Amino acid sequence: MKKCLFSLASLLLFGVFANAQQVEFEEFDLDNGLHVILHQDNTAPVVITSVMYDVGGKDFEPNRTGFAHFFEHLLFEGTENIARGEWFNVVSSNGGSNNANTSLDRTYYYEIFPSNNLELGLWMESERLMHPIINQIGVDTQNEVVKEEKRLRYDNAPYGGFLGAIGENLFKVHPYKEKNIGEMEDLDAATLEEFQAYFKKYYVPNNAVLVVAGDIDKAKTKKMVKDYFGAIPRGADVVRNFPKETPITETIKAKAYDNNIQIPAVIAAYRTPSFKERESYVLDMISSYLSGGKSSVLYKKLVDEKKMALQAQAINLGQMDYSVFAILALPLGDVSLDSLLNEMDEEIAKLQTELISERDYQKLKNQFENRYVNSNSSVAGIAENLATNYLLKGDVNLINTEIEIYRSITREEIRDVAKKYLSPNQRLELEYLPKKDDQ
Amino acid sequence: MKTYISAFLMLFLMAFSVHAQIDRSKQPQPGPAPKIDLKSPQEFTLKNGMKVLVVENHKLPRVSFSLTIDNKPETEGTKAGVSSLVGGMMGNGTTSISKEKFNEEIDFLGARLNFSSSGAYASALSQYADRILELMADATMHPLLVEDEFNKERDRLIEGLKSQEKSVEAVAGRVGNALSYGVKHPYGEFTTIETVNNIKFEDISAFYEESFNPNNAYLVVVGDVNFKKIKSQIEKRFGNWKKAVDVQSTVPNAIPNVQYTQINFVDMPNAVQSNILLTNNVNLKMNDPDYHAVLIANKILGGGFSSYLNMNLREKHAYTYGARSGVDADKYVGRFTASTAVRNMVTDSAVVQTLKEVNRIKSEPVSAEDLRNAKAKYVGDFVLALESPQTVARYALNIKLNNLPSDFYETFLQKINAVTAEDVTRVANTYFKPENARIVVVGKGSEVLENLEKTGIPILYFDAFANPVEKPKFSKPIPDGVTASTVIDAYFNAVGGKEKAKAVKSIWTTANVTIEDAPFSPIGEMKTMIPNKTSLEMSIEGMGVIMKQKFNGTTGYTEQQGVKRDLTEEQINDQKASHTIFPELYFEPSTLSLESMISINGSDAYKIKVSENGKDSFRYYDAKSGYLVRVEKTTEVQGQTFTTVEDFGNYSPVKDMMYPYSISVSTGPQVVKMNVTNHRVNEGVTEADFN
Repeated sequence: MKKCLFSLASLLLFGVFANAQQVEFEEFDLDNGLHVILHQDNTAPVVITSVMYDVGGKDFEPNRTGFAHFFEHLLFEGTENIARGEWFNVVSSNGGSNNANTSLDRTYYYEIFPSNNLELGLWMESERLMHPIINQIGVDTQNEVVKEEKRLRYDNAPYGGFLGAIGENLFKVHPYKEKNIGEMEDLDAATLEEFQAYFKKYYVPNNAVLVVAGDIDKAKTKKMVKDYFGAIPRGADVVRNFPKETPITETIKAKAYDNNIQIPAVIAAYRTPSFKERESYVLDMISSYLSGGKSSVLYKKLVDEKKMALQAQAINLGQMDYSVFAILALPLGDVSLDSLLNEMDEEIAKLQTELISERDYQKLKNQFENRYVNSNSSVAGIAENLATNYLLKGDVNLINTEIEIYRSITREEIRDVAKKYLSPNQRLELEYLPKKDDQ
Repeated sequence: MKTYISAFLMLFLMAFSVHAQIDRSKQPQPGPAPKIDLKSPQEFTLKNGMKVLVVENHKLPRVSFSLTIDNKPETEGTKAGVSSLVGGMMGNGTTSISKEKFNEEIDFLGARLNFSSSGAYASALSQYADRILELMADATMHPLLVEDEFNKERDRLIEGLKSQEKSVEAVAGRVGNALSYGVKHPYGEFTTIETVNNIKFEDISAFYEESFNPNNAYLVVVGDVNFKKIKSQIEKRFGNWKKAVDVQSTVPNAIPNVQYTQINFVDMPNAVQSNILLTNNVNLKMNDPDYHAVLIANKILGGGFSSYLNMNLREKHAYTYGARSGVDADKYVGRFTASTAVRNMVTDSAVVQTLKEVNRIKSEPVSAEDLRNAKAKYVGDFVLALESPQTVARYALNIKLNNLPSDFYETFLQKINAVTAEDVTRVANTYFKPENARIVVVGKGSEVLENLEKTGIPILYFDAFANPVEKPKFSKPIPDGVTASTVIDAYFNAVGGKEKAKAVKSIWTTANVTIEDAPFSPIGEMKTMIPNKTSLEMSIEGMGVIMKQKFNGTTGYTEQQGVKRDLTEEQINDQKASHTIFPELYFEPSTLSLESMISINGSDAYKIKVSENGKDSFRYYDAKSGYLVRVEKTTEVQGQTFTTVEDFGNYSPVKDMMYPYSISVSTGPQVVKMNVTNHRVNEGVTEADFN
């Protein structure tokens, strides 16, 4: 009896914990191959309709970079039933918000509405996929807008060329070597037919996932999803065959220049495994260990104690085919970039040879617990996590189980992964320098 | 019977498998509006005056604490930056916990704790609520402020300022604030390396003592807490924070708006985009009766993607990635702004279009649709914001900070929905003041100033720290050996040679004409004959000739919509003295001077001044191709001067000579573009054409 009570109590406890965390969802496929995920949460009268397409900056024909991002603009131009320029009006005049974003791996569109406009959201996303208007006027207008976006975010922004410089030096053959926004010459040279062909190839229901999350009634939502998306024809399967990079065995040294900066930066960047791999989760933890919070190794040493750096940061940029692990620092005063690099190396060498302390290990776990709770705090966040987990990581339930992976990572693994991927001969050393007037 | 059932079943099934049950050509209509449930936080006040607001929300096991100290804004003068140093130094240990231990513990809890010069924010999993609260309180009341940390923070701030020196956006923000409010106002003053170097360690503790007191403090708690329990914890942690003597200070007035529309230009040679910011101060508080109407007016003008500004500058003209406007309602001084970032080449046009849209909302009633849409967006945003438990807390805090009526948010949507089109026009005229606005433009002078001057808006010049300066000079060095006459020679080489030019007696040009914002596109017929006869006729299909302009060598007239006007004596004299076909053939060397080399649409061009008959005009020749690319003339009509700029491009051959096929003529904001379809040389033109 006592034993029973005990297990009941622990069940209860577990139940409370799980309730606070568990994200319930339901999945199904339409006949045309569109994958649909529903998540019901009626606590606030808000609903999100979002579609993630398996197409990103890495998907392009020769000399036609930047197409995926360009589409993220083009597909707001209008559809057979939504007049040109009306898209945003339809959303805002119904009290909604919408946006889209593109990475090298995928493109994501969404609307958030008060929940009485669920049907509107589904209609709009189905219109976008079924029959958007792709014409010369739209292409010409968005071509200029994209150029302004490039000037704003890259050419006129301090350190705006960071990622581009890392990509082009770290990748030799894989399309990750190109900029997500693409080369403007490529976009200028692209014909309307090429844009239409790109749409036909990638914007097919069998290459996408629809997520509806928030204040919904599941049965009614299912019917509406079928009504609006069911008639869209399936397309050919998207087949990719990207060339594989050969491992880096000798340090790549490179320089990049930026017109908008006074203080240089040094970056050590490593090509690391896909974010699907367990090792990538380990690298997430390593980046937190190095620079997550004021007590982290790099911040404490470089910024605080030795006063060598204005900023020091490690990031694990998770991607589908290869991730990028980068450590960057901005020197303070006359500190040389080489000395910053040496200091970083010292810490990485420690990681590769010694186990991190039990206390630091527990700290990392606590940080990831906190991150996990916060990652599912809005229906918009939940929708994007569900879509990403399905489309890119192949397991929707990671939204509930990803934390288990972090919990299970050992100190030994941290050491081993650092050893396997973070040695100086496996990396790019990039000096990111202020551009002088005569350069 | 059986067949009936299966037929019925079939029908039933079909209803669910056939997709054509919806009419997708019609936009779905919203269902019944969801109920809005606006909860109020629970509140209490500590004896020392600190007010506490608690929003319990148990959805996720987390909690946040947000401390706001509502001090009056103060200027820091020669020591500007002291507040940000204090913000940076705090939250790094307490008098009883070392910095290392303190920061390590925050990180160990997986928590966050940040301070600013007027508050702090902490968040953590709810199991650590009491500990993070304790650390926050200790760091607020007993911060570890030591000289060594001061030096570090100061060096970091200076480096941070350096890192922003070339940022167009940072400069635009700084200069915009400084010019709008004045540098003697807390909202207008800014931190420089110099002011940071003036700060001494003693200033830090002085600022802390003066600013961090419970008198005007608000602590907002949101999350997985129990009110009773957290109340007693807060009383325990913050209860002995000592109340200070109330300091009476007054906030200085912002400088008045300017008397006339002006461009305030800052030259940044590294800019690839110009930052444009139209700004005027306003007297608007959240509890003013106009507040809701101003929100709606701003929403329509520049408060979203579908706004006037964005639809014009981004969607119609593709000048920018985005254009927005904003109105700050503020207890002390508010401000209206309209801003965008555009590529260098269209800076002037973007300024003109921005003014046009601001003036439009002042002069034209907004459409019922725009009004309805703006309201719907506010309703929607209000509903969407309710998803976050922070919203209720923010609303309650706003009521206190801005002395709002307690039902401000309950009646918010009702008041938004009551705004009329007349209200919008009225408040637009009260608060959007382009006639008293500065248009702060930060950009690359050598590429944008020429065109900005043509807008006719007076330009004043400032450096990156808002100090007035002389107009910068942008001329590039003229290469050795280049003179006015070599430029003219190069021009003739490019178009086909002097001898061939001399043989041209008449030109008959047909062009498709587009006039900015005009609903029609006329056809233009232009004829000229040596030495100076000209004829221009514009016609529209179905309407015939709508405009004529003629000069036959001795007299001339203009005719528009049936009204004929003879040329004045001065105009006749001007026409007589000019040559209309290859005037370069007739220029006296003594009338020409090579002024400078500037950039036109990204290419270098030589600027030649032509002084004839007591008047100066300017002709620009491309440095590479030799072609004439621009002619600039100033004329005076009834006391007003107009600068007319003709741009030429797209040169192509006719009878072995090169002629421009794209011509654009702009006078002030008006732009007429001509796409030439045909140049006929020495054919089809007779004397009669000019009468």
